[in-house]
Amino acid sequence: MGTEARLTAGRYVGRPVRRREDERILRGATRYLDDIDPPDAVHVAFARSPFAHARIGGVVVPDGLEGVVAALSAADLEGRPRDLPVQGFEGGRVATEGHPVLARNEVRYAGQPVAAVLAESRALAEDAAELIEVDYEPLDPVLDAHSSDVTMTHWHRVSGDVDGVFASAAHVVRATHTLPRVAPVPMEPRGAIASYEETDDLLTVWVSAQDSHRQLAGLAAALDRPEEKIRVIVPDVGGAFGSKGPPAPETVLVAASAMATGRTVKWAEDREENMVASYQGRGMEADVELALDEDATILAVRARIRADLGGYLMPTTAIPTHTTAMLMCGVYDVQAADVEVVGRRTNKVPTGPYRGAGRPEAAYFVECTVDVAARELGMDPLELRRRNLIRHHPYRTALGWTYDSGDYARCLELAEELVQPEHHSDAERVVGTGFGMYVERAGGLFETAEAELLTGGRLLVRSGSSPHGQGHDTTFAQLAAERLGVGIEDVELRFGDSDEVPRGVGTFASRSLAMGGSAVVQAVDALKQKCEAVAGGRDMSLHEIAGAEPGLRASARFESDLVFSSGAYGAVVEIERATGRLRVLRVAAVDDAGTIVNPLLAEGQVIGGTAQGLGQCLIEQAVYDEEGNPTFASFAGYSLLTAAEMPPVTTAFVQSPSPLNPLGAKGIGEGGAIGAPGAVANAVADALGGVRVDPPFTEEKLWWALREAGS
Amino acid sequence: MKPAPFEYRAPASVEEALALLGPERTVLAGGQSLVPLLNLRLARPEVVVDLGGIAQLDYIRADAGPLRIGAMTRQAVLERSELVRRRWPLLRKAVRFVGHFQIRSRGTVGGSVAHADPAAELPVALTALGARFHLRSSAGVRVLGASEFFIGPLQTAREPDELLAEIEVPEQPEGAGSGFAEHAHTHGDFATAGAAAVVAPGRDAGIALLGAGPVPERAAAAERALAGGAEPREVAALAARDLEDEHRRALCAELARRAIEEALA
Repeated sequence: MGTEARLTAGRYVGRPVRRREDERILRGATRYLDDIDPPDAVHVAFARSPFAHARIGGVVVPDGLEGVVAALSAADLEGRPRDLPVQGFEGGRVATEGHPVLARNEVRYAGQPVAAVLAESRALAEDAAELIEVDYEPLDPVLDAHSSDVTMTHWHRVSGDVDGVFASAAHVVRATHTLPRVAPVPMEPRGAIASYEETDDLLTVWVSAQDSHRQLAGLAAALDRPEEKIRVIVPDVGGAFGSKGPPAPETVLVAASAMATGRTVKWAEDREENMVASYQGRGMEADVELALDEDATILAVRARIRADLGGYLMPTTAIPTHTTAMLMCGVYDVQAADVEVVGRRTNKVPTGPYRGAGRPEAAYFVECTVDVAARELGMDPLELRRRNLIRHHPYRTALGWTYDSGDYARCLELAEELVQPEHHSDAERVVGTGFGMYVERAGGLFETAEAELLTGGRLLVRSGSSPHGQGHDTTFAQLAAERLGVGIEDVELRFGDSDEVPRGVGTFASRSLAMGGSAVVQAVDALKQKCEAVAGGRDMSLHEIAGAEPGLRASARFESDLVFSSGAYGAVVEIERATGRLRVLRVAAVDDAGTIVNPLLAEGQVIGGTAQGLGQCLIEQAVYDEEGNPTFASFAGYSLLTAAEMPPVTTAFVQSPSPLNPLGAKGIGEGGAIGAPGAVANAVADALGGVRVDPPFTEEKLWWALREAGS
Repeated sequence: MKPAPFEYRAPASVEEALALLGPERTVLAGGQSLVPLLNLRLARPEVVVDLGGIAQLDYIRADAGPLRIGAMTRQAVLERSELVRRRWPLLRKAVRFVGHFQIRSRGTVGGSVAHADPAAELPVALTALGARFHLRSSAGVRVLGASEFFIGPLQTAREPDELLAEIEVPEQPEGAGSGFAEHAHTHGDFATAGAAAVVAPGRDAGIALLGAGPVPERAAAAERALAGGAEPREVAALAARDLEDEHRRALCAELARRAIEEALA
């Protein structure tokens, strides 16, 4: 791809265009899943396991329940639909057993769907669901990865003479870090509606999801049905943060029961279901060792990572463990690495990708260990980082990924300048500063777009990528308007209907702009060529061209290797001696996502991601009691940060364009969630004089840590 | 999150309401705690008696004497009351910590008191102020102090056929100061700990802690120490001394110190 194809700042690209979708959202004109109200629909409620681990004898549905159309247990499904398919990863082993749609013989987490009731209203369905009699024989639950003897995923890679390097290294530093499980908590919970037309043998599924095509593929596999016989429509979606990727077991049940009953079936989950049954993020711990020479050059990294994966592998449960492992060299030029990650079965809800999906874990493990090393070596943590940063790209890591572009030194320099480090203490409080860097895999695979010239010269773009809060309708329109030379108001975007949009991949892994945006650019460029061909050198407007040749359209499928965003975050924190209360005083967020198409939206992503990263550090933790019952089934047991707790966040962008796509874009959707936790953890440890605690940094933990620090 | 079936009744007067009360019957007084409990099916009453339509329970008044708060007074009304701000400022300070403003717009003073959540602000402030709780039934009226009214977490001395009709707050001496401090994970979240204090010019004080026990209680030893001239830090340590957990003890003592210092300021 030549540089002449590269987009540079123009009328729209690089400009802080306000989100076009906001007016519709703020006026309440959006149509979320639960706003779709088919008059003939029956509503589903699930009977969910009250036990973390139990054998199931029988499931008995009492007769004559009011308003009930059908009640289904695994026995009624007779093996159809199939268990959800499991995605593996390269170079490791992943168990093949997937999550059953309804539990058979055994439940492995509290909240697992055991039976489904279809009734004339959700209230009647819930009334009936609690009357279903399930013969549970409780078993001892396994509640952490250490106690588990069932390995579901395993990956181990050794590159270089790691043992030799460690044996002869001047310094060896060891640290253990634990990241608790957190809940994704999208504002709109999950849900699906399915309707089956027997005459055409067509199944239509509306689903609150990150995109339509992963749902389509997952449903086709679970229902053993050709994709052409399924139409997936994704309406407006109120957030996902990774939790609405492949179909949920509940979605498959909705689809299967619509086919079985001939009725339109609706499931719009409530917050309690979302909390206990939606897959969670993080839940990993790592023993990390660094070997350093006399000059504090990092020679090798060794890491043993354990993941508490929950009762089953959801389709994408394995992915974050692999991503974590592959990024254990961080932003540093480390020639030797020995990294192993073991995913264990426990009696909790499964984990899966949650904003960052392996990158926050890796960044946290690496960056916290680097700070431990700096303290043990008596060095400035920034100096230790500077000495070891990767300085040239492309760079192939010891673990095998190739970082395409970046300027890590510049990111770190800016973060230090913007955060204005402070280190002091008095009788009331201790104040510390910390930094965390990250490198993020983004993009990859392919994405699609189709551009069509409409009567009157307007441009219609259909995208295989799909929004759930990112702002595609604005950024993709900016790209299309720029390339065709029309006003942004003349560009219309369509997403999310598998019958209308070209077959794509989806919205996750910070990939929309780099992949989907590049496909839009290529499709519009191809359309522009066709327009020029119609004009044949004559001076014709798009209006005239559309009149001369109606239905002009072009499509594109853009494919590339992974791109790697990066960044450096700095945080200043204060801990109150009397209570242990932590206040994050300020955060500096420096991200390199390559070319920034819309700085306003990019900054919004950084601030939102930072809020989630801070939430994970400060208060979030999905706590199970000793019997494996979730204590976080409502917001009374699981707090999220509010605007009142947000510190000032200063943002800056370093723009090292990726050579792998025409935009030079990488990804910005997750940087805040990846960069902030390590920076805050290191700031807390700095304030505590080197004492380290695991998140969340509750006042109780910090109060005890202050006593330990004796300061 | 749909409640189990129940019968809904909306009486128009206290008398009608009293006739509807009894075992397995729950009073709806704003619904900011009850409705979530219903939706989670943790509360399963046969009948819900909604007091929302009883205007005669919605008042704040004080002539020369004590403050009288009708049980159905919205928390937001208490928060904005000029009378309360001037003469019982502790209530205003405390009510501002109750949930978020949307919750205070629906939630009532009586609802919060009768719910008796040990993490709630108003019961603690009312305890420090020496409030009295008026329970009405068809048999008459009982008036209880905080130590008689609050008997356990989410438990009060209210009988099933009684209605909490009014909260009476004694007049505060001229020149009394007040303070309220609390800790919560986030703004508007349930408090993890807190303290309320009122101090009269002669250092005659009312001090009560939040989250330090199953019910809000006056810290009598601390109040005596303050009257005897002890420093706020020492008084606060006395208020929290019976807490077993070391961090909780330190936290409650610190919040009590802040509340007392604010009251003395």
